[in-house]
Amino acid sequence: MAKKTGSATVQARPDGYGLKKTLKRNIGFFFILPWLVGFLIFRLYPFISSLIYSFTDFQLFDGVTKVGFMNYEEIFTSKKIMKAFGVTFKYAFITVPLKLIISLFIAYILNFKIKGVNLFRTAYYIPSILGGSVAIAVLWKAVFRDDGLLNTVLAFVGVKGPQWLSDPSYALFIICLLRVWQFGSAMVIFLAALKGVPLDLYEAAAIDGAGKVRRFFSITLPLITPVVFYNMVTQLCQAFQEFNGPYIITQGGPRNSTTLISLLIYNSAFRTYEMGMASAMAWLMFIVLTVFTAIAFISQKYWVYYSDDEGR
Amino acid sequence: MMKKITALLFVLIMLLSLAACGKEKPDAETGAETKQKEASTEDNTKKEDDTKTPAKTEEPSGAKEPVTIKFSWWGGDTRHDATLNAIKKFEETYDWITVEPQYGAWSGWEESMATAFATGTAPDVNQINWNWITSFSSDGKAFKDLNDYSGTIKLDNFGQSFLDQCTLAGKLQAIPVSLTGRIFYWNKTTFDKAGISTPTTLEELYVAGETFKTKLGEDYYPIALGEYDRMILMVYYLESVYGKAWVEDNQIQYTKEEIQKGFEFIQSLEDKHVTPSIQTILGDGAESLDKNPKWMEGKYAGIFEWDSSASKFQSALNEGQEFIVGQYLPDMGQYQGGYAKVSLAFAISETTEHPEEAALLINFLLNEDTGAEIMASERGIPLSKNGLKVCMDKGLLNATVAEANSRVLSWVQFPLDPKFESAELKSSDGIYYDAMAGLSYGDYTIEEATDVLIDGINGVLAK
Repeated sequence: MAKKTGSATVQARPDGYGLKKTLKRNIGFFFILPWLVGFLIFRLYPFISSLIYSFTDFQLFDGVTKVGFMNYEEIFTSKKIMKAFGVTFKYAFITVPLKLIISLFIAYILNFKIKGVNLFRTAYYIPSILGGSVAIAVLWKAVFRDDGLLNTVLAFVGVKGPQWLSDPSYALFIICLLRVWQFGSAMVIFLAALKGVPLDLYEAAAIDGAGKVRRFFSITLPLITPVVFYNMVTQLCQAFQEFNGPYIITQGGPRNSTTLISLLIYNSAFRTYEMGMASAMAWLMFIVLTVFTAIAFISQKYWVYYSDDEGR
Repeated sequence: MMKKITALLFVLIMLLSLAACGKEKPDAETGAETKQKEASTEDNTKKEDDTKTPAKTEEPSGAKEPVTIKFSWWGGDTRHDATLNAIKKFEETYDWITVEPQYGAWSGWEESMATAFATGTAPDVNQINWNWITSFSSDGKAFKDLNDYSGTIKLDNFGQSFLDQCTLAGKLQAIPVSLTGRIFYWNKTTFDKAGISTPTTLEELYVAGETFKTKLGEDYYPIALGEYDRMILMVYYLESVYGKAWVEDNQIQYTKEEIQKGFEFIQSLEDKHVTPSIQTILGDGAESLDKNPKWMEGKYAGIFEWDSSASKFQSALNEGQEFIVGQYLPDMGQYQGGYAKVSLAFAISETTEHPEEAALLINFLLNEDTGAEIMASERGIPLSKNGLKVCMDKGLLNATVAEANSRVLSWVQFPLDPKFESAELKSSDGIYYDAMAGLSYGDYTIEEATDVLIDGINGVLAK
């Protein structure tokens, strides 16, 4: 049986063809179904429910008795929480630039033809694998405690080292150092980007008399700005979510000087069981992080060079 | 076409594997018991019915199909070893029951158990802290009423007043294992080195501070006190001076001026080189005092600790150092300040499918000769009359723990409010830590520290 559609005559399809076509069109959906199920249950559901909890006084063992903005009001009036946000900003703005600079510097060096370069690359990447583990916490404490390795070395040269872990003015620095020390993953990404910079540009610049420093700032850096941008955004997100370092080394002390907001969220949720308050803090951190990421994205048109963007 | 069918099959397999991952994960020990569990399903259904009609004196009846129960506790290695041995004996005695142990160190334990109780996934039998009854089950929803299992757990082994301490919302929610209180312990070797005897009065303690400084050096102290230790010692001091409990009828019993006096006392210990500052202790970089090299070496020559913790601190000392139980300091005040509390208790989760078997395990560990003999004083001096008798008859109690426990119980006179140990107060970012460390670091004056403490406690009491 023939059917007229406009000027074309379409043959009737055998039964089941529509289903087959639908299946064919949506086959990709079936492939991502396992991930989708996981995402809905373990990401989206907690994401939405935490937003709802943030407007309640949900306590793990007492349930919900009040609904409203009280958690957010408390956040803005609590010195402790505001201090934690302050410490988190400080932590992020110390670690992100430092980590970017160090990882780029090391990647730049490892991009040269050095003997045993693969060994160095592996060695520099190891701290990223070790991460904020308990073993590293023990190591960090052994190095930085009052009579630890660092102070012993300092004493050897006649300097009395400070109380790194127990003095509020130094403790955050020690935690930052742990994060900066794990620069391996950023370094690998930078290394890949450096390898992508065309050699002929360097040759042309060298012919024009540009020195190594000039070539770095005028050729290398502009060409890898998309990667700098990528690393900056990912490092910023990770820094705001940092938990392991302060949790296992200082437990947020001394005097809350290393209490990052993630630690406070954990304490609120799992030590005092105030899930509503923990959710509110998590959401506020999410908003802050979104704002910073948005600023980074807006700012990229002023400093990030994309080769397909007519030289901007 | 074949490719598509294969792809779809893979997707289905992946989905099924995802579903399988969602199921209860059998661990090394559980895995072996899966079949037994399945086999006992029928029996379990029957047991559930049994729980509605409380069992009296008889053991679980029926065909005694294999049953697996989970048992959780925290502690140190010696407690783990003793408990595992006791479980082995229990399984030999009650051969249809298999016990899956879940144990670890204290660090992080409370957080994980809180989540388990809140989500109804806690093991069948749990070692709990006394204040968990108030924190996790104030409405009685987390733990079973053990009066319903009085036929299995011989409750007459326990004084009614102890059982009352574990009764809330009309339910006997746990069986107390032991009582504990804080007492001084000294490293006699260090005191000998300083040429003085261990202190028996507050005045001698102050003198010891000065002597340690001049004779042994700046980094030697008669006693090391962390934030929570200071809080408890302050309460002991105030109760000794004023003769009233810290909190009663949900209210602090002390005026601001009185509490300030307590803080002055704590500050005086630091000022007179009796105890190192909080900054110094944190600078040692140790997770806890028993793991602090200065304690091990004898530079910190004293602690104010639970009587049940004696062996932990004693075994941490380097060889050749003598560890002794101290005296309370009678010149702290005219009263015998301080409190003893239930140190630990065993509770059965409300969600258990095998309450009778769980009750059998508790009774075995606390009351039966074999269990009590193996456990000895691993969880403090047993409160169970039969458990204590067995240990005494066979000389199984740790002499130091026994001595400390008897001194505590013959001295302290005041009750303890369960909210004293609320996480908001005693956790490392809680009020006690803030007030004590704030004072020690000089962030707070005595008046400010007092305000922080009073406001924080009132906030918790008001909940």
